[in-house]
Amino acid sequence: MAEAIRRRWGHFRRQPVFTGFCLFMAVLALNIIIQTPAKFFTVSNFRILLSKNMPLILTCLGQSVLMMCGVLDLSTGIQLAFVNVIAIMLPQELGVPVGLGWACALTGGVLISLFCGFCIVKLRLPALLTTFSITYIIKGVNVLIMGEPQGKVEKIIYKTYDSVVLGFLPFAALILLAVLLVWQYIKRTPYGKHMYAVGNNPRNAYAVGINPERVQMKAFLIKGFIVGIAGLCLTASNASGNPLQAEEYGIRSLSACMLGGMNFGGWGTLSCGLFGAGFLVIVQNAVYYLFNFLTKTIQGLMINSYWQNLVSDTIIFLGLLATIITAKAQRETLRQGFVKQLKRGEKYGG
Amino acid sequence: MGSGLRIRRFVKYNRPGMALVIALFLLLITVLINPKSLNINTFGSILVQTMLLSFAAAGQTMVVISGGVDLSVGSVMSMAAVITTGIMQGQGGRFAQVILATVAMGAAIGLLNGVCAVRVGLPPIVITLAVSYVVTRLQYVFTGGMPTGVAAALFKKTVQYRIFGLIPAATMYAVVIWALAFFLIHRSRFGKQLYLTGNNESAARLNGINTRKIRVLTFVLSGVFSAVAGVLGAGYMGMSQCQLFDNYAYNSLVAVIVGGSLFVGGVGSYFGSITGSLVMIVLSNGLTVLDISQPVRNLVLGLVMVILLTLYNRAKPIRQ
Repeated sequence: MAEAIRRRWGHFRRQPVFTGFCLFMAVLALNIIIQTPAKFFTVSNFRILLSKNMPLILTCLGQSVLMMCGVLDLSTGIQLAFVNVIAIMLPQELGVPVGLGWACALTGGVLISLFCGFCIVKLRLPALLTTFSITYIIKGVNVLIMGEPQGKVEKIIYKTYDSVVLGFLPFAALILLAVLLVWQYIKRTPYGKHMYAVGNNPRNAYAVGINPERVQMKAFLIKGFIVGIAGLCLTASNASGNPLQAEEYGIRSLSACMLGGMNFGGWGTLSCGLFGAGFLVIVQNAVYYLFNFLTKTIQGLMINSYWQNLVSDTIIFLGLLATIITAKAQRETLRQGFVKQLKRGEKYGG
Repeated sequence: MGSGLRIRRFVKYNRPGMALVIALFLLLITVLINPKSLNINTFGSILVQTMLLSFAAAGQTMVVISGGVDLSVGSVMSMAAVITTGIMQGQGGRFAQVILATVAMGAAIGLLNGVCAVRVGLPPIVITLAVSYVVTRLQYVFTGGMPTGVAAALFKKTVQYRIFGLIPAATMYAVVIWALAFFLIHRSRFGKQLYLTGNNESAARLNGINTRKIRVLTFVLSGVFSAVAGVLGAGYMGMSQCQLFDNYAYNSLVAVIVGGSLFVGGVGSYFGSITGSLVMIVLSNGLTVLDISQPVRNLVLGLVMVILLTLYNRAKPIRQ
């Protein structure tokens, strides 16, 4: 029995998701202590956590699908705003039924993602710089469509999005479960294997008869769907439109994936992205409650939102730095994968 | 055939010259569409802005030649501008403190970038972007969102005054900074090692060059040059704001690429970056003259970069 457990544990330690899981559990424990267990383990707390952060979590999932194939997209964040803008403006300006408008928004998200894919995969441009420039293009388009933050969403939509199904399951969790289920199916098709082959080495994958371009374009298609859903979640959770929001989700999702143990190509699973996103979300939450705690206990201490922004951006930066430590804690396989990722990363960055 | 070949060669190999041609062409279009824009004042402001951008591009050029990218240029410039007006408060005689404080700040941020990008080995574009977010947030925390103070009157004059109504007084700063950057990149031992590092890092290392030190140094110098550009920018604007110069990060990068540097490293010249800056400023001046709104401007800038990447930076196909 003990032998079996040890073997299981050893097996688990070699999984890509190990570091992400450990980090996530550590901050989760910290957060529960700060927030006190009685207040943390409530349905409403989970509901707020999930519904507020579902866009970020889904963005991280999309990003990890891309990273599995050895590509990435920095403009994912602003793509959420693009979906948001279409979903608000179509019903408001053209009188399109809300359902159709939202379907169009989802399609728009897919198309813009495919455009990024076209630039990176078909034109073979360096992924990081190209998507960084595409951020500017999408920003321009967003503001052209919607000049300033405006619009509203029907009450039934955001009520449904914020609701709790069966008394314990938040609606946002259902969306996440649906995405994960679809992914479980995709993972088991031959395409799932092809992704790893292409991510690891496109040339070798080509040599064994896989079309790397098609595999990577398909990854952008899947990411487009996920980002589209994330954009709709953003719309439902904010219940308004803003053409310039969520831009930093791009780099945030990237750092989440790296934290979760994801590497550029051939290493890591979707759960890496999930735990990485969970880490960021929980840290953000813990910082919020810590600040609340500090202002309450220390008299006369005023902390404005600038400080909170500073801390949350510093955490992204520290998270990126933490990837060295997490990589060290892992076994040789991950170390090699990490070195390869850096080389690829350098190729993309420079 | 002879002239055709010569033109083709010029387009392909003389990127700075090509940038000058493009700038002239853009200026011509602007003047043709709106003849009123042809006045001495416009030329003066184009010159000053080109100088400012070329100062910021000096460090960026070094980083790009060594094979990296620095996106924290803009936020360092804004930070330097905030510090400048904060220290000066409209009074003269504090220039030395300003330079000391901003250069120290720029060097510190550059060192952080360099250590993270080179020692830790994270992709430079990601780490500099993350650092630039933190620096931007720091501006808000330090100033409460509303920076106070203005630049000293004399200092403002040394940047804004136009000799004969055309040549900006900032030229005297430009002579010093351009000479320094030109010396560093093209005439010093550091410059030679920089090109070698960017061209082939392992070969450079095997030749006894401390390539890591060179690459960290490029980031530090980039921070210092951007800090100086931020100080002069504050003098040009007269006041400061959080995120005032943020677009310089992207613009300097595009300017460097227009000027003929390649992202793969080892190729590029500072003269090219100056001509690239001229192209960027003439383009943005044209967009202003033609009364084009900010979103379309963003769109144009993004497209320019994607087109540049398509022209000069495509990877080799997998199928060979």
